[in-house]
Amino acid sequence: MKRDVNFILNGRPVTLSVEPRTTLLRALREYGVTSVKRGCEEGECGTCTLVIDDLAQKSCMVLALEVEGKSVLTVEGLVAPNGDLHPLQQAFVEEGAIQCGFCTPGMIMTAYAFLRKNPDPTEAEVREALAGNLCRCTGYIPIFRAVMKAAKTMRELGSHPGAAR
Amino acid sequence: MSMLAFELERPRDLASAVESLGRHGSRAMLKAGGTDVIVWMHKHAVQPEVLVDLSEVPELGGISFYPHRGIKIGAMATVNQVGTHEDARVHYGALVDACLSHSDPLIRNKATVVGNVCAAVPSGDLIPAFSVYEAVMHVYGPGGERDIAFADFITGPRKNSLAPGEIVVSATLPMPSGRSAACYIKLGRRNALDLAQVGVACLAMQGSKGAEYRLAYGAVSPRPVRAAEAEDILAGSESPDEALLDRAAKAAAAAVNPITDVRAGREYRLSMVEELTRRAVSICAERLTGRESR
Ligand SMILES: Cc1cc2nc3c(=O)[nH]c(=O)nc-3n(C[C@H](O)[C@H](O)[C@H](O)COP(=O)(O)OP(=O)(O)OC[C@H]3O[C@@H](n4cnc5c(N)ncnc54)[C@H](O)[C@@H]3O)c2cc1C
Ligand code: FES
Ligand code: FES
Repeated sequence: MKRDVNFILNGRPVTLSVEPRTTLLRALREYGVTSVKRGCEEGECGTCTLVIDDLAQKSCMVLALEVEGKSVLTVEGLVAPNGDLHPLQQAFVEEGAIQCGFCTPGMIMTAYAFLRKNPDPTEAEVREALAGNLCRCTGYIPIFRAVMKAAKTMRELGSHPGAAR
Repeated sequence: MSMLAFELERPRDLASAVESLGRHGSRAMLKAGGTDVIVWMHKHAVQPEVLVDLSEVPELGGISFYPHRGIKIGAMATVNQVGTHEDARVHYGALVDACLSHSDPLIRNKATVVGNVCAAVPSGDLIPAFSVYEAVMHVYGPGGERDIAFADFITGPRKNSLAPGEIVVSATLPMPSGRSAACYIKLGRRNALDLAQVGVACLAMQGSKGAEYRLAYGAVSPRPVRAAEAEDILAGSESPDEALLDRAAKAAAAAVNPITDVRAGREYRLSMVEELTRRAVSICAERLTGRESR
């Protein structure tokens, strides 16, 4: 039987009608949020990663009904109202950290939650933080470089765009 | 595969959670973080008609530390919360090592420590740590409250000694006596996202009769095992030499009973039990005699 779940999605309140067995991943994709990618659905690959109340989570491991009253952020929510990319997104583009792009939204959301806790990380810390996100294309090096670059940009900006959302 | 349909109950307090479980009996299953349960349901390995979600029960959250009694881990405390807890980092090295060896930094935001132990999968990373700290499971159910010693908690692969309708509320890991040092070493094939082929937890404590050791193993027997004979061999020795380490390692291998499965063979696991025992004991002995207490 379907039930309503109310939560904040990228800054806006939404109500979705879902079955208890529907994962947050499937509910969001059905709602049209296609940046959360359906990879393994076993918690292994990280392509479905988003941020719930400041913590990066694999959305295939979350039942949609679990986010009642919570705040959910996906890459769509990182883009500024005027269309400007978030420094993390910008750095991924500039550093060639995207090939097929399937892992990219998950990588960016993991990095986003991580940089909010650790704005000035070492590269080793970035590697560790991204250990739950797999990429078949890039060999990871451009991804680590992009996260380090975004961290620097964000420190220079002295603010964290998207933080309020 | 998709999960089969089920009903979800999200009780707001412990009494309602127990009531829910009681009402649905064997048709119901508990969910904490859900990282085991959701995977099992996807594979149709379990097919509960009702899932009782503990994540909104306030009595189950939190981690508290009492200097003389120890650390109390609420059933909903995540692996990351425990692994980064300040008092755990100072006093419970094996617990923290086990948390940080678990899955990956994202799953650790969801998976709980108590759920790992309740699942009772032989490779569960938190199980050897619970063994060496001689944890006590605090349980609530239709018959009220009771405590279960961890040695009596896991009865076999995926089996624990909870009675129908009982919920683990929290677990206390008593404070190791005197100066102590502990570690957990996990052998997997890669750094993240791998189940243990062998896991070894070691706790060394400075007692009145010299050093005292506790050794426990994961993934090498159907129930958690302590290597009692190896512990006796090492007792009293602050800096065990090679010969003593060898004797202890052999005794440890005799205490376990690994199987061959897709992750590793029995012979390999046995030789790794020996090797990791030597390593874990050496690390703890060094830390115990050094300044570091962990
Ligand atoms: C990608 C991935 C990687 C993983 N890697 C590892 C790893 O490296 N090491 C490892 O050990 N495990 C690993 N796991 C398994 C799993 O994450 C852990 O066992 C986890 O700690 C279980 O906690 P949970 O809160 O998610 O449990 P749940 O799935 O919610 O529950 C697990 C079991 O315990 C029962 N239960 C939970 N809480 C209670 C309670 N309070 N009282 C009574 N019964 C209860 C449930 O009914 C269920 O049977 C991995 C899982 C995934 C998906
Ligand atoms: S789809 Fe969620 S981790 Fe792979
Ligand atoms: S860019 Fe293709 S998987 Fe990462």
